[in-house]
Amino acid sequence: MSYGSTIKVPLGPQHPALKEPGNFLFEVDGETVVDVKPRIGYNHRGVEKAFELRTYIQNIYLAERICGICSDAHTTCYTQAIEELLGVEAPPRARYIRVIIAELERIQSHALWVGIAAHEIGFDTLFMYVWRDRETVLDLFEMISGNRIHYAMNTIGGVRRDIHAAMVPKIKKGLDFLEKRLKYYLDVVQTEQTILKRAAGVGVLKPKDAVDLCALGPTLRASGINNDVRADDPYAAYDEVPFNVITHDGCDVSSRMLVRCEEMLESIKAIGYALDHMPEGVIRVRVPMKVPKGEVVSRVEAPRGELIHYAKSNGTTKPERYKVRSPTLGNIPALCKMLLGGYVADIPIVLAGIDPCFSCMDRMAFVDVKKNKGWNWTMQQLRRKYAKK
Amino acid sequence: MELDHAAVEKEVCKEMTEEIIVSMLKILVFPGALFLFALAFFYEWVDRKFFARVQNRYGPLHTGLHGILQPIADFFKLLSKEDITPHSSDKLMFFLTPIFYFALPLTTLFVIPILGQTSLIAFEGDLIFVIFAFTLIIITVFLAGWSSMNRFGTIGSMRAVLQMLSYEIPMGLVTTGPAIAASSLSISEIVKWQSPPNFWLILLQPLGFAVFTICLLAELQLVPFDIPEAETEIVAGWRTEFTGRKLALLRLGRDLELVLASALITSLYLGGSQQFWLIPPIVIFLVKTTFAVMLLSLLRAVFARFRIDQMLSGMWKYLLPLAALQIILIQLGLGG
Repeated sequence: MSYGSTIKVPLGPQHPALKEPGNFLFEVDGETVVDVKPRIGYNHRGVEKAFELRTYIQNIYLAERICGICSDAHTTCYTQAIEELLGVEAPPRARYIRVIIAELERIQSHALWVGIAAHEIGFDTLFMYVWRDRETVLDLFEMISGNRIHYAMNTIGGVRRDIHAAMVPKIKKGLDFLEKRLKYYLDVVQTEQTILKRAAGVGVLKPKDAVDLCALGPTLRASGINNDVRADDPYAAYDEVPFNVITHDGCDVSSRMLVRCEEMLESIKAIGYALDHMPEGVIRVRVPMKVPKGEVVSRVEAPRGELIHYAKSNGTTKPERYKVRSPTLGNIPALCKMLLGGYVADIPIVLAGIDPCFSCMDRMAFVDVKKNKGWNWTMQQLRRKYAKK
Repeated sequence: MELDHAAVEKEVCKEMTEEIIVSMLKILVFPGALFLFALAFFYEWVDRKFFARVQNRYGPLHTGLHGILQPIADFFKLLSKEDITPHSSDKLMFFLTPIFYFALPLTTLFVIPILGQTSLIAFEGDLIFVIFAFTLIIITVFLAGWSSMNRFGTIGSMRAVLQMLSYEIPMGLVTTGPAIAASSLSISEIVKWQSPPNFWLILLQPLGFAVFTICLLAELQLVPFDIPEAETEIVAGWRTEFTGRKLALLRLGRDLELVLASALITSLYLGGSQQFWLIPPIVIFLVKTTFAVMLLSLLRAVFARFRIDQMLSGMWKYLLPLAALQIILIQLGLGG
């Protein structure tokens, strides 16, 4: 259907997909999307500036609070960076514990996403079921770390809590239950007709576009491209724990669902292996407060894709500059490509398809496209410019 | 002679007053408006509770026994909320549509037999009246969304009308099935026809029952056809701008529509309000309608939402031929 002229439909800033703010301005011709303009930055919290004002130990807890869902990915990335600056390495047992926590987090994050995706296409029953089963992982986290979401497991030089022998059978029992449920959900998303009708062939991202637009994580892997930081640049104990990188070549929302569901099953296998092969020993090494001068980039495969942290140290107890590049930001150009030419009714599920996390993403920098330069402002400059108006 | 005349007049007056009072009571209290309100709130609770249990949740829990009073509490809460009329809306339409939306199903319910096999108001052709009322409800929905001048409201109301274009015809077609079987266009006659020695029409026309139930899902805007109010796409659709008293009326209207739908399923296909052994017909009616409500909420729990184009083509491609097939089968002497 085409009416010859287009109308502009805004989506957001209140909760376009997940319960986080972001704004997308769609140009719509009849029922077809012809143009998308994303506008981000509603959740800018000045995290990077805050990093510079706190000591390295305090920053662990700040890094954890960049995102609620992938809190462990951020701290892993942060501690890895600082460990590299310090020239220390986490003990082997700590590296295994990091893998276990990271994979548990991947399960809960992907399970959360499957629920959200079901909700976006109006299938609330699947949403409730998946979230009920996700509680199993959260309970395991509570047992291991005392918290359901902000586990605070990582510290510079290792992890803060051990996984005791008594916990292992409980974790395995929980995972066995999850494996059964996940196989069922995998079956549901492959066979349930109403889901297929809404997900198959929707939000197509061709492999070439995915690479050109720097798509990341499950979104990229659902376009058939084998890319995973865990395999390409192993960190923690991923060089010892066997796992498969899941790819599907459907390039649509349906294969994004499949990739995530199968990744959860892979994670369960990886956790099982890590639990069985965990070496004995200490879980952390002591590190000095002052970090020597240097720069470092650290990469981690967060549930949503490749996460990059950059740290610059000037030899004091506080970092001089800190930069976070979260996977959602990398996926935004690809997202705009997916939305073009689609139906208006498909916008929510496509948008949710990249598993956006706007609170992770929002940073502030000014870019003048015409003069081709970028710069940052201090709070005083911002106040001077806008507070008086 | 004069005295006698006065006495007769008095007698007639008394009788007439009694008759008026009785019929007033019937219309206003039982089985009329008050009873129907109670039933509407009860079925909203049944729907919410059953839907929640299917999803492995608890549903309403705290207000009254197992949360049975929750819909009433919600209603009164909404009545006390601020009533906002958007600046750019069509004020008169915006004011009137909630009243229509609430009054239409209520009025229509009077032609459905509840207490016995005859309804409060029965006439030849009330089946057509019911179908007509269903159309009017959707037109009210359209006006409600359109008059609110909200972009989500407008999209929602357009979708509602598009949806109506697709399910109205199969529904109208398939309801002629019971009418042909009972050779009457009156719902009361159809109910009477289904008592022994004849069977319930669900046994004779299962295809018709299925098509009718699917159409009612679309009429009630339940998943998979909740397209006009798809919350993840267009907020609350045509209801976005309604608040306070108006929203309360819209919700009550929706509940009454649920009662109407379940009562129609019961009357047309499940034998309606019959006496069974010693159990009074009203109890039978309540049991059957509760079953119908549970069927509708089960169906809305097990599907994802269709897209509007998928729904339109599906209705025309599959449901309409099925409805026609049912009528052909009846004409061939099967199921009538």
